Amino acid sequence: MTISEPISEVDVEVTINGRTRRHRVPARLLLSDYIRDTVGLTGTHLGCEHGYCGACTVIVDGDAVRSCLMLAVQADGGEVRTVEDLAPAGSDSLSPMQQAFHDNHALQCGFCTAGFLMTLESVDPGEWNEPERVVELLSGNLCRCTGYQNIVAAVTEAWSAYHGGGGSRDG
Amino acid sequence: MKPAPFDYCRPSTVTEALEALSSAESSRVLAGGQSLVPAMNFRLTDVSLLVDINRIEGLASVDCDPGGVTVGAAATQTRVLEHEGAAGVVGGLRAALRHVGHLQIRNRGTVCGSLAHADPAAELPALAVASGAMLAVSGPDGERRVDAADFFIGPFWTALEDGELITEVRFPAPPPGSVTIVDEISRRAGDFAVAGMVAIVEADGGAVRSASLVGFGLGGVPTRLATAEAAIRGWAADHPADTIAEAVMADTADAFDDIHATSWYRREAVAALTVRAARRALVAEEAA
Repeated sequence: MTISEPISEVDVEVTINGRTRRHRVPARLLLSDYIRDTVGLTGTHLGCEHGYCGACTVIVDGDAVRSCLMLAVQADGGEVRTVEDLAPAGSDSLSPMQQAFHDNHALQCGFCTAGFLMTLESVDPGEWNEPERVVELLSGNLCRCTGYQNIVAAVTEAWSAYHGGGGSRDG
Repeated sequence: MKPAPFDYCRPSTVTEALEALSSAESSRVLAGGQSLVPAMNFRLTDVSLLVDINRIEGLASVDCDPGGVTVGAAATQTRVLEHEGAAGVVGGLRAALRHVGHLQIRNRGTVCGSLAHADPAAELPALAVASGAMLAVSGPDGERRVDAADFFIGPFWTALEDGELITEVRFPAPPPGSVTIVDEISRRAGDFAVAGMVAIVEADGGAVRSASLVGFGLGGVPTRLATAEAAIRGWAADHPADTIAEAVMADTADAFDDIHATSWYRREAVAALTVRAARRALVAEEAA
């Protein structure tokens, strides 16, 4: 865990969407570029690359974070979830939130969508039913297409689906 | 939008971190990285060695006792915000942190990092000054304690010397029965404030007994509103607010202009926020 001597390349072990990966990466490599270019998971999108837009939001050790403001080496030993992990594995169906985004026209170009989905995924689904909390949660993600109304509508519907579906987030 | 190459190390003790910081010309501490990494992405900051303090044992602690809250250098803003005891002892922490960035930023960003970064429009430096916070700083020559009032020197400029590291900050509990209000004008939720203020107000019998008032987004460092602190003593809700507003205008004569707002706008905004804070404090006192 400790790296005593300054080095410019670091061995990292990161569990991404349940699969543990090992790479030697430059210290300067951003987590966002690691996910996209080294690991090849391109569902995480890079908008501004300075922490403003939220498009690159992923979940690291349970917390939603901007992957462009974190170094890959900082995720060493940690667990990362990306948008590819949301839909149930081995099926064509979507997660309830993804389905609700689809049904409510909560995306147009879709560039920001992965970030919204990961922010919402990071909190207790009970918070999806508190409109003020939802607006506050989504304030860290920019969308230039929808005007947000349909996104808020989708979150409300996903909450209903979540509750109607017996409480399983994957159901 | 990628950082230039640098060396990296991840020490396990403060001593090792200090040795590393002293070993390179342009070494920087990496805590939450929510201001440093964008600056590196933009190549505004030249870093030859990044010293990651996040795996140092005990540095992410938040300790609470009736006298105050002590926040370690690697403790995230979310950790402080969600800490059960901290908000009860120092209500200003929750009041300020609600305005800091967004969930994703607070999940990584640290309280001490915000103080070290010293953005003139940030809430936490103003809270530190208003509440009389004390920073513990370690460096090659040992440890020292720095009063928040002496810590901020200019925009993005603090009393930290090369090779020094903030290890923790202590926010003392405000006077019993006081109310801490952090209020600001910003374009969007989570953005840096155009201007704002922290007010720690003691009220008694429907009048303000005393207040600690510090503005932010006005100049290079948190601005103590000393004239307003004098003018607000004894103020009650049925008194005219002009005296407070005029005092704030006197305290903020050096406020700066930029693309977001004129100096005059910033001063008027903080004057209005100060009157609003006094009213809110009196309502809270009546309700208590």
